[in-house]
Amino acid sequence: MNTQSDTAEGDPLHHHALDRIAHVTLRAGAILAQSGASVRVVHEGARMIAGGLGVEVMGMRSGYASFEITLERGRHTITRMMQIGPHGVNHRLDFAVRDLVLRASQGGMAPEQIERELDRLQRDTPRHPPWLVAIATGAACAAFGRLLGADWASFVPMLAAAGIGQRIRHWLLGHHVNVFVVAAIIGCVAATLGGLGARLAGSATVELAMMASILLLVPGVPSTNAQTDVLDGYPTMGSARAVWVIMIMVFAVTGLWLAEFVLRIHV
Amino acid sequence: MTDQLIAMLPYLAHQAVFGAIAAAGFGVLFNFGWRSLAWCAVAGALALGIRTFSQKHGASLEAATFLAAIGTSCIAILGRRWLGVACHAIALAGCIPMVPGAFFGQALLGYMAVAADTSGQSVAQLVASAQAFIRVVSIVGAIGAGLAIPAYLLRSRQF
Repeated sequence: MNTQSDTAEGDPLHHHALDRIAHVTLRAGAILAQSGASVRVVHEGARMIAGGLGVEVMGMRSGYASFEITLERGRHTITRMMQIGPHGVNHRLDFAVRDLVLRASQGGMAPEQIERELDRLQRDTPRHPPWLVAIATGAACAAFGRLLGADWASFVPMLAAAGIGQRIRHWLLGHHVNVFVVAAIIGCVAATLGGLGARLAGSATVELAMMASILLLVPGVPSTNAQTDVLDGYPTMGSARAVWVIMIMVFAVTGLWLAEFVLRIHV
Repeated sequence: MTDQLIAMLPYLAHQAVFGAIAAAGFGVLFNFGWRSLAWCAVAGALALGIRTFSQKHGASLEAATFLAAIGTSCIAILGRRWLGVACHAIALAGCIPMVPGAFFGQALLGYMAVAADTSGQSVAQLVASAQAFIRVVSIVGAIGAGLAIPAYLLRSRQF
């Protein structure tokens, strides 16, 4: 990468254009990362957008909480950084942005136009209603319970406990409560409800029901993304994701441990 | 052989059905579209089907998980014509029911019990917890490797 410094004083118009390109490139990368894409996809997407906007050389560094980019066009270079919001999984937004990246890579789109499209996608990409997400998550956890060997009596309690847990998680995250604290709270609430319900239903697998009720907290996508990132040559992000996964599990299990204490279940 | 297979069918179907429900349920949480959700369910049933079949034929849980992940990933990539570029995401969603969250929980709860133990009699508990933790690492590794290897070998694009 050329080590020329930022060239604002040389040609302000050109500098402003590169600034817009850097911003839209970083924004697209940030949305991809926050929607659950691997770092390779983020870098490839950024490279495609920058290439479509006429950038000749692009260098990018990705951390867990921020991205940095350096762009070069002609004699001009620019380096910019952007903070990344909470990492999640949003498949439809992820693939809608990939579509936009593909279109932008073919050229003919201005940075402002891409920016408007990103705004529109973030605003208009459909999401399943929260009640449906709660029921589906509850069903997934109850199915997990069956796969682990929980009996039929505990099926409905697991479904209800995990569904309520998901609804509360949605509410707490919407109120910007720390994600690790949310994991502990939901671990405790869902396991208590699942265990209590299973006990009342006469289940012989109360402990399994408690465990299955908190499986909505297991970060499955980040744990596989962590490996993908390491395999793709981005060990920094991979390690950060792995540490995040372990921390979430520690907090979730602390909640489960509290629930076992409440229900007087001996570990 | 055929009798063995027939005897295994109810259990295989049970695992496949609940694998499908778990994969589709998490697919809703991950905001997959309706059409993709149906494919997530198919991928989940396939993954759990392969894993259960492999285990019934003597494979360890870790080996069976690896076979299931690699099989699901291969089939998803080969079905790219119908699945589009989302084939990798669908294979991943199909493998979510195999993520060993319960083992992770058991391991951490076991370590907590060891930390609280004052009798000095916690060797068995420590070994069981360490074993559960090692299983978590190997199963997560098996899923990651199983999903990644076909994507690299078949040079499947992500855009």
